[in-house]
Amino acid sequence: MNKKTYIWFILSILTTMTLFLGENKTFTFTSLILVSFITLLKGQLVIDFFMDLKNVKLKYRMFVSLWLVFVVTSISIIYI
Amino acid sequence: MQIIEKKYPPGDFAIWIIIYIELITFAALFIGYAYSRKQDIELFNQSQLLLEQNYGFINTIILITSSYFIVKAIEIIKEKENLNTFFTASNCILGSIGLGVVFLILKCIEFYDKAQEGINISTNTFFMFYYILTVFHFLHVILGIIILSILYKKTRIGVYTQENHIGLETGASYWHMVDLLWIVLFPLIYIMR
Repeated sequence: MNKKTYIWFILSILTTMTLFLGENKTFTFTSLILVSFITLLKGQLVIDFFMDLKNVKLKYRMFVSLWLVFVVTSISIIYI
Repeated sequence: MQIIEKKYPPGDFAIWIIIYIELITFAALFIGYAYSRKQDIELFNQSQLLLEQNYGFINTIILITSSYFIVKAIEIIKEKENLNTFFTASNCILGSIGLGVVFLILKCIEFYDKAQEGINISTNTFFMFYYILTVFHFLHVILGIIILSILYKKTRIGVYTQENHIGLETGASYWHMVDLLWIVLFPLIYIMR
């Protein structure tokens, strides 16, 4: 399987996992952490392999990656 | 295997300035939503239950797949160059456009359903954020589809080649940003509570 196809497949699986976690009637602290982690992972996969920022100068990649970490972490902290 | 470090992000650097600005704008909205929820958690949780999670899920898969098609189009253009290249790559872009349109249709159905239930932007704070975030994103999808349509036309007639595909990468970068924003928006609006 082509690398990008593999990434698409992982993204789809992670999205399905997010839905399953959300469908549970009880959304616990663990669910919140898991959903946040999955969102971080999905975002980073898009940044590295779809946006193709994996091998560009660190400052350009870092801006988008730090944006993702900042947003998801801030949301999680506010939710906790 | 040696990894070659590229200097700049793919596409025209101007698009990255726009992407950075868009990301900052959406970050403010996302955090504003989370902070407002903290003021009335019960209202947000109850209102969130009125949303159909499957719409959010299907739309996420649609945008991810649409982004993937653009990635494939660029790969094909970079790989080899003949008449079939332009045909296959443009078909990938067409697939991406089609999925973008399906996203818009599903979003319209969702908005219509909510309107039928008597829910609108002034219903409560949750739905105010719901409409601001999703409509703002919706407008970005429309712009993305317009950009992709231009890319499709140019790719079809062979404007982009192995050596010159900066325009294609520029449009693709914008479309991936639209995807990235939805990846955060989906759990925030539909899942986390």
